Amino acid sequence: MVEFLIAAVALAAGYLLGVRRHRRPVSEDTGPADHERGITEFAAAVAPVWSSQIESSRVQMETAVAAVTTEFSQIVDNLDAVLTSSSAVLEDSQGGGSFDRGRQRLGNVVGTLDDALSSKREALRDLETLLGLNDDLKQMTSEVAQIAAQTNLLALNASIEAARAGEAGAGFGIVALEVRQLAERSFQTSEKMAGRVEGIAGAIAGALAKAEGDTEREGAAVARANSEVTEVLDDLGAVFAGLRESSDRLERAAVGIRSGVSEAIVNLQFQDRIGQVLEHLRDNIGRMPAVASSGNLDARSLLAELEATYTMHQEREAHHTGARTAAAVPESEITFF
Amino acid sequence: MSKTILIVDDSASVRQVVSIALRGAGYEVVTAADGQDALKQLDGKRIHLIISDVNMPNMDGITLVGEVKKLPSYKFTPIIMLTTESQEDKKRQAQAAGAKAWVTKPFQPAQMLAAVSKLIMP
Repeated sequence: MVEFLIAAVALAAGYLLGVRRHRRPVSEDTGPADHERGITEFAAAVAPVWSSQIESSRVQMETAVAAVTTEFSQIVDNLDAVLTSSSAVLEDSQGGGSFDRGRQRLGNVVGTLDDALSSKREALRDLETLLGLNDDLKQMTSEVAQIAAQTNLLALNASIEAARAGEAGAGFGIVALEVRQLAERSFQTSEKMAGRVEGIAGAIAGALAKAEGDTEREGAAVARANSEVTEVLDDLGAVFAGLRESSDRLERAAVGIRSGVSEAIVNLQFQDRIGQVLEHLRDNIGRMPAVASSGNLDARSLLAELEATYTMHQEREAHHTGARTAAAVPESEITFF
Repeated sequence: MSKTILIVDDSASVRQVVSIALRGAGYEVVTAADGQDALKQLDGKRIHLIISDVNMPNMDGITLVGEVKKLPSYKFTPIIMLTTESQEDKKRQAQAAGAKAWVTKPFQPAQMLAAVSKLIMP
């Protein structure tokens, strides 16, 4: 673009200077008035076209660069949004967030099952205690039976002694008989008690065996659940760690892209500088028809007008040295007043 | 509450670049394409700082500084000139008109943000 402009301006300047340089020989053939008119017509025809082409290019460049800048800024905004969102999700799930809350809740569930199992084991110990008490009862029943047997034997001896006493022992014999009957009933009652105690012991032992079996299975189930929960949480932890690592890599890449895009946006300021150069050239070329029609083709005056519009060191440098290689853009400077 | 900065530049891409830098630092941004447009944009708005180009059509940046200083609501609003202009006399004119800083293009966002945070009203 700039190459084209330099070539165009050089062509115009060369043409005008050439005409001026050869004015005398040419005028010998056609007359000075015709050549002045020719130059005026040339400038009037060419300058507006060049100016409009420069302006068109400048506007196109400005529009395109503004659009690119907007797109880049949206990329930066999107990257910022993605980074913020991704970081927030992983922070919540990994760093004391939902993952730890989930671990805590599952731990509570397993803990509740363990508590229930402990209560059940406590109840089993009570049943075992009850079974021990029942054995005591059995022992006591056996002792009652022995006492009944001894009482019966004692009463029998008393009856024999009463019979031997004759008439005088008749009343005592009746009492001895009653005692024997009571001993018999005591023995029968102790027999029944022994049967009942045996039945209770059997029922308790059956319940205890069943409860112990259940408790053993439940204990195994709780241990399995605990183990499964731990494994699942470990797997999830590994998944989250992988996600975190992946996210970190993505974040580093995104930060790099963001930095590159931001740098590119800053570099798009070139458009403002080039745009100004083009504006200055456009305006100076626009002055050519008036200069040509004035009859005073003074290139230095026109170039001085151009120079007066410059705002940048690079423009002045290029103007005076004719350098086609752009001078280095200076670093930004800040002056506080 | 974030501070609002008015950016005045006839180059749309420069307005964009400055806006991106300032928004990224949490500032609100209002833009204008030249001095006249800037005076219309002020119109009672709460503006904490103005960043203006120097060479613009319709009304240049130095004239804008003079006009802003005449407005009671904005006479203490700090103004940073952001320009490709390298002539010292233009810089002196801007200072005389009441500008607070002179930043040459192309600017680096970090430098601009440092200048803004130094000048903006707390």
